[in-house]
Amino acid sequence: MSTIWLQPKTLPEALAMLAADPALTPFAGGTDLYPAQAARFAWGEALPEAILDLGALPEFWGIAADATQWRIGAGATWAQLRDAALPAEFDVLRAASCQVGGAQIQNRGTIGGNLCNASPAADGVPPLLALDAAVELASLRGTRTLPLGKFLLGNRQTERAPDELLTAVLVPHRAGDLRSGFEKLGARHYLVISIVMVAAMVRMEAGRIAEAAIAVGACSAVAQRLPALEAALRGSRPGEVAVTPGQLDHLAPIDDARATGAYRREAALVLVRRLLARLALPEALVA
Amino acid sequence: MSDVQRMRHGSSIGLPVTRRDGHDKVTGQARFAADNHPTGMLYAVLATSRIARGRVAFLDVAAARAHVGVVEVMVPGNRPALAIHPDDKSVPFSFKMDLLQDDRVRYAGQSIAVVIAETLEAATEGAALLAPRYAAEAVEVTLDAPGAFVPETVGVGAPAEQRHGDVEAGLDHAAHRIETTYETPLQFHNAMEPHGIVAAWDGDALSIDMPTQGLALTQMRIAAFFGIRMEDIHIRSPFIGGGFGSKLLAGPQVLGILAAKLVGRPVKLVLTRAQMYGPVTHRSATRQSLRLGAAADGQLTAIDHHVRTATSRHDDFLEPSGGISHSLYASPAIATTADAVRLDTGTPGFMRGPGEASGSIALESAMDEMAAACGIDPLEFRLRNYAEVEPITGKPFSSKALRDCYAQGATTFGWAGRPLAPRQMRDADGLLVGWGLGTAIFPAMMFQAEARAVLRRDGTGLVEAGIHDMGQGAWTAFAQIAADSLGLDIDQVEFRGGRSDLPNAGIAGGSGHTATAGGAIHAAGGQAIARLTELAVADPRSPLFGAGNVGVVARDGRLVRWDDESRGETYGDILARAGLDMVEGQGSAAADQATAEQYSLHAHGAVFAEVKVDPELGQVRVTRLVGAFAAGRIINPRMVRSQYYGGMIWGLSFALHEHAAMDVRTGRVMNADLAEYRVPVNADVPSVEAILVEEEDPHVNALGIKGVGEIGITGTAGAIANAVWHATGVRVRKFPIALEAFSGA
Ligand SMILES: Cc1cc2nc3c(=O)[nH]c(=O)nc-3n(C[C@H](O)[C@H](O)[C@H](O)COP(=O)(O)OP(=O)(O)OC[C@H]3O[C@@H](n4cnc5c(N)ncnc54)[C@H](O)[C@@H]3O)c2cc1C
Repeated sequence: MSTIWLQPKTLPEALAMLAADPALTPFAGGTDLYPAQAARFAWGEALPEAILDLGALPEFWGIAADATQWRIGAGATWAQLRDAALPAEFDVLRAASCQVGGAQIQNRGTIGGNLCNASPAADGVPPLLALDAAVELASLRGTRTLPLGKFLLGNRQTERAPDELLTAVLVPHRAGDLRSGFEKLGARHYLVISIVMVAAMVRMEAGRIAEAAIAVGACSAVAQRLPALEAALRGSRPGEVAVTPGQLDHLAPIDDARATGAYRREAALVLVRRLLARLALPEALVA
Repeated sequence: MSDVQRMRHGSSIGLPVTRRDGHDKVTGQARFAADNHPTGMLYAVLATSRIARGRVAFLDVAAARAHVGVVEVMVPGNRPALAIHPDDKSVPFSFKMDLLQDDRVRYAGQSIAVVIAETLEAATEGAALLAPRYAAEAVEVTLDAPGAFVPETVGVGAPAEQRHGDVEAGLDHAAHRIETTYETPLQFHNAMEPHGIVAAWDGDALSIDMPTQGLALTQMRIAAFFGIRMEDIHIRSPFIGGGFGSKLLAGPQVLGILAAKLVGRPVKLVLTRAQMYGPVTHRSATRQSLRLGAAADGQLTAIDHHVRTATSRHDDFLEPSGGISHSLYASPAIATTADAVRLDTGTPGFMRGPGEASGSIALESAMDEMAAACGIDPLEFRLRNYAEVEPITGKPFSSKALRDCYAQGATTFGWAGRPLAPRQMRDADGLLVGWGLGTAIFPAMMFQAEARAVLRRDGTGLVEAGIHDMGQGAWTAFAQIAADSLGLDIDQVEFRGGRSDLPNAGIAGGSGHTATAGGAIHAAGGQAIARLTELAVADPRSPLFGAGNVGVVARDGRLVRWDDESRGETYGDILARAGLDMVEGQGSAAADQATAEQYSLHAHGAVFAEVKVDPELGQVRVTRLVGAFAAGRIINPRMVRSQYYGGMIWGLSFALHEHAAMDVRTGRVMNADLAEYRVPVNADVPSVEAILVEEEDPHVNALGIKGVGEIGITGTAGAIANAVWHATGVRVRKFPIALEAFSGA
């Protein structure tokens, strides 16, 4: 229903088109855009007029490492992330990738689309928050890098300027004994939008937690890290520190068609506890 | 029952013959309605209302018409005339329809215009360009709407109030009483294949590809609408991608026929998934209040079942949920009553197990609550209240192997040793485990059907009946019956169905298709054989000369003497000598009034469920379902098992998933898609086992068939709800059971 469809062949070309018409809607996998369009149409709202199809940009798709970080192209699909040979800290992202929609969605949907769409229930966000990821934004004005937590501003709101494209997700290299994992809760067992999801990455040293990064999604407008819990865990032995409701106080879950806020709060606590317990299983501790 | 229950030597009846249309379906050769593209065909797209009540104030028809590829826009002003008003209900089983008769909007999703274009894309864009404006009025869409009324009838003409014995006295004298209310949600049809049509006019003759569960009913209504003769309407419906009651009647596809008339070219119209949440009927929400009384020993003293349901503001269909209480459990006093509200929705309709499905989950839950109140095992409790005769009428059952269902189901499931109290079992992961039971029941209905059978000189047979294959296996089961009736191998019989120019095979509804059309087919084949027999026994040149009708049987393409099978001859020889190319038989079948007056006709079953509940998250996982069903003669156990599986999974969906969320301000369904209108995915479906319990019914109909399409939902949803209670100790009375239901438990 859009009247203009542009498909640039290079990133500079894409950025020039976007600079010329910042009202263009970037289009990656379309798995958020099409359902949103159908919903808008159903409710009589305006539809995007013009589309900037990112599908032909060669820069967009790869996953690569340089000296300091991993660089995941914004156009990397869930299927790519699911199947890529990435180190253990990425288990959290891999687990999330396996649970985004079904195989068809995983083949089409991209990490960049997931982040730019900025749904509170975006499954890609908590894992990347736990991995201290940053996003790279490009425009004719130049390229900038923002921590993911700064990029996401609210429900469907980001720092992206209208003339910018998200080009990559950057994840710093980590060393040591790393484990990570992901827990997703939905109203059925697969193909479901998250009611709560929890992502965690821990680095172990001599049987103690040297570093913990835990993020909870679908319990606030933007997924949140749990700094109080992370601090409490630092230096502790697995299982030594109890997860308390207070450490999740800053979450602000709402009531919606999928669950009540009160239930989400309870479930988040349970999932955080379970995930930490799972990451601390004795067999996982043998360094 | 073993898979081999042969009707007679040489017959495939009772054998698990694989789907005859299976190969075509998995290879994409099977052509569904929307796969047909006659030359010159245009695409029609519905524009549907965003408001639920009011008027369409403006449509930008000019903008739509101006769009490249758009051929015409059909609105009330230019819609071709109809011979009868869309609200006319003179054709049997009719409901009021919305065929662009005026600018009124009666429910969200109602068609307000049809855009016809050279491509689907252009038609879709044209529909968007209509940019309607409305004069909206306030809506009512919940069961608490004002103006509740007591209907005269519910379902299809059943009295809304039925009484037997003195319920109040029964409750007064009861040692145990329970009084509970259960809520079931608004549910929408979501067959895989959305409603569609390809319609082409040739003068006054109309050719249609359209999935329908009722070829003749549909033909009759369309004939009435267009003022043409039924014989001039040719409907092809060889495959139906699921019907479940939503494709019984003409439906919104009539707009496709109107569009074709308007533009004078063939037109295809297919509803989108979202459009399935408007004009194709749904199951209304219900609020069911049950009062049960029981004596100290667990014998029921009273069942009082009141149903609050809803219909549309403009027409009546009342989900008859109370009916199930008439026939299932013995009680000296039974009362079922109903009231309803009128809502700004489409008119509800037949949705798999209409009444039985929603009524069963309430009755089975209440029975479970009473068993617990009496301190009796739920199975034992049901056996103590086993109905030897139909409770509300006192009629005997034509057959009832429910005791065997309970016994076989319980053994397979391993019910013995189930702790009486809830929250007693956990698995190795700490999940709460519960076992629950529900009784399944469904009336054995018959409608009216005709068939034609031919034996040809080359020894093959031809059987014709306008049967409907909804995926349930009609092509296969009817071919088996046809072959049996002609005494031929199944591959020797050409079977024609799925078209309106064949004998009227009635409807595929009410789980009565196999019994009815099967009966007609069998009778037709029998008559063809009888004619052939007459030829043989009267012919001195035949080895069967003088054998008399009763003394001859059909076997593997030959007629042979009953007392000496070595004496006989082939059909071909008989016809050749008589100088005939073929001999023909006609058959019909219908419900027999005398039988129905004398007997209560029902299929029965028992469903056992195991669930595991996460004690902290409230996630319910059904881990095992075992259903044992007795439904008279089983023509094809493979197809029947699939029907039971599908029914049981539907029951699972009923208990745990399906729910249309209404926006009470606008009257619109907020989850009108398969992402958010939840049905179970594979990962939600446990091991399902269906046991076919042997049952011979000498009364129900000539073939002894009761029907299996809907019964699987009944019992199952309640069994799961009861297992959830047994696992958690929490009695959830609002369906589907939500994760939150256990918060703080
Ligand atoms: C059936 C179904 C199931 C789903 N299940 C899940 C699920 O379980 N979990 C989940 O998190 N999501 C789910 N989704 C949502 C969706 O698939 C994901 O969010 C996906 O990652 C979106 O990526 P995309 O490439 O398809 O985005 P698109 O739809 O192409 O775009 C999404 C948004 O991002 C913008 N955008 C895209 N790429 C860029 C870029 N490089 N620069 C700037 N802006 C950009 C677009 O303009 C648009 O606003 C589901 C969707 C469907 C249809």
